Amino acid sequence: MHEFSIATQILESVLEFAGAHPGAEVAAIRLAIGELMCVEHEQLRFCFDSIKGGTALENTSLEMAAVRAVVECPHCRYQGAAKYWEDAQAAPVPTLQCPRCGKAAAAIEGEDCAIKSIQLSGLHYENAI
Amino acid sequence: MTTNIPTIQASPEEIYDIELEHSLLEANAKIAAANRKALDSHGITAIDFMGAIGSGKTTLITKLVEKLKPKLGVAVFNGDATVSDDFDGVARQQAPVVQIATVNGCHLDANVVGKALKHVDLKKISLIFIENIGNLICPAEFPLGSKARVVVISVTEGPYMVKKHPHMFLGARIVVINKSDLADIMGVSIAELTKDVHTLKPDIKVIATSCKTGEGVEEVAGALLAV
Repeated sequence: MHEFSIATQILESVLEFAGAHPGAEVAAIRLAIGELMCVEHEQLRFCFDSIKGGTALENTSLEMAAVRAVVECPHCRYQGAAKYWEDAQAAPVPTLQCPRCGKAAAAIEGEDCAIKSIQLSGLHYENAI
Repeated sequence: MTTNIPTIQASPEEIYDIELEHSLLEANAKIAAANRKALDSHGITAIDFMGAIGSGKTTLITKLVEKLKPKLGVAVFNGDATVSDDFDGVARQQAPVVQIATVNGCHLDANVVGKALKHVDLKKISLIFIENIGNLICPAEFPLGSKARVVVISVTEGPYMVKKHPHMFLGARIVVINKSDLADIMGVSIAELTKDVHTLKPDIKVIATSCKTGEGVEEVAGALLAV
């Protein structure tokens, strides 16, 4: 349940931001979740919803977008979409095998889990900038 | 809002988007980098071990300490949900052991490893083994500051460990397939498991071991000294 640690971090950082903008209500938090991260979107939503009650984010929703894996190959200089392993159980998973030469590649995208933006309502325009 | 109103003020129902670009893994990553810096400045290599409960992490670490202790200073950080006493084997060899009890946590993070570092004399050691919580899913997202990661699986976990938990292997430098002496009995092919690991990342070093017969332990020790 590392989703719980991540949900706690989301709550803490957005509460801190909201505290600095009195009067504003956080309508939504938009997340970008790298597909190389083993973060279950629904579990994250569940964890966030379980801990937001009684805080200023009680009515805030989470919007999650998956970030596709991008790899770079030090051997053949390929840069682009990762090769997927179709054979894995559950859904196909991105690998760190270069799709062009088959050697080991390094991930350059898809390894983070970040708050991209938050949606505020009820904020005076001049405070928003 | 209409165009003939010069001053702009939002009504409560209006909505603004504010870019944050705030990484949720950054806090841990920063502490991990600080741990790494502290380790590097003392010339210490830390290796973290991950793997399912019962895959043989503790036994493997005990065997590795046996092999390496006469040559260099080794310390072991043992992450566990509660304090366990299965590290007697390491303690008997006079290697410093720090227990990290996470209580309800399912993974170690860089912060607890940083605290554990304060409990050993960094001048006297050159190698630290960090045993993560027995879990194949959670620890992958939380780097600790180690130089390399070893994932320990065993043939008794069945033939699909890699296919079921691919994420865990992506960050590994070495994968140990333990309990190799039971492969035939279990009907599990070490070659197939190796192929699965290499499908995910072709440069991972895969070593079959049996902590019972001693097979492969020397090779793991050699690979760890080379990271």
